[in-house]
Amino acid sequence: MIKLRRKKARPLIPMSSMSDIGFLLLIFIMLISLMNQRHEVKIEYCEAVQIEKTQESDNLEIWIDRNGAISINGISMDLKELEGIIVSTIALEPTTRVHIIADRNTPYRYVNATVMVLQRLQHRVVSLVVREVRR
Amino acid sequence: MMHLRKRRVPDDPGNSGSLNDLSFLLIIFFLVIAGFNINKGFLMNLPDRDRPRVVQTEELLRCSLGPDGSLSLGGKAVTEEELRGEIKAMREKFPNMTFLLEIDPETPYHRVVYVIHEIRVLKVENFSFRMSGGEA
Repeated sequence: MIKLRRKKARPLIPMSSMSDIGFLLLIFIMLISLMNQRHEVKIEYCEAVQIEKTQESDNLEIWIDRNGAISINGISMDLKELEGIIVSTIALEPTTRVHIIADRNTPYRYVNATVMVLQRLQHRVVSLVVREVRR
Repeated sequence: MMHLRKRRVPDDPGNSGSLNDLSFLLIIFFLVIAGFNINKGFLMNLPDRDRPRVVQTEELLRCSLGPDGSLSLGGKAVTEEELRGEIKAMREKFPNMTFLLEIDPETPYHRVVYVIHEIRVLKVENFSFRMSGGEA
């Protein structure tokens, strides 16, 4: 009688499915990053060495360019419209952190006008966004 | 002679093990990109307009920022170094000192940020700022 030795199957982990998983993850992350897309205004940031993280889970970014033009999420507006947006945002999410992102050469009166709006609305905390530099 | 049928070898699926590394690298890349959008700066507490704070005059250091960003203390022009020295001296004398910054409407914003930064570095707790000719 012939003795047939059964060949031992080598354990094999199918790797081909990993590529699908990888691509699905990529698509997921790309979609998430699109959702968090930030409408940036072309400004020159102020710089400082010692700063703190002011980002919160809910944020409202007020951009002020060097000519004093105010915009939120890429939409330009005047002070009255700004006030309306702040009111509606805070009403919807009271813990929203308001950030002022102004050009380094913006005359202070434009920044002050926005600060005054916040003060009028009794919004106490504001973040002045600057870029971190290392000495 | 016995004819043994050769076992069929499955098609080679190809070595896709490196795709794991690739996808993880891409994930790290996206995570780093997401980190760029984090806002950093100075957190300011705006005062209540209806309840002005009372400060003793000897504990108050009044600084002005001119339209060109120049600094002055009590009407006298000072350099950045001198301002730092004045704040330090005042803080030693009055640990609860208040720094009041009066800003000209035309002062470039980065000069205001500079003074705020100095105040934070020198750990002055009480800081107030207002636009000259405007409201506190």
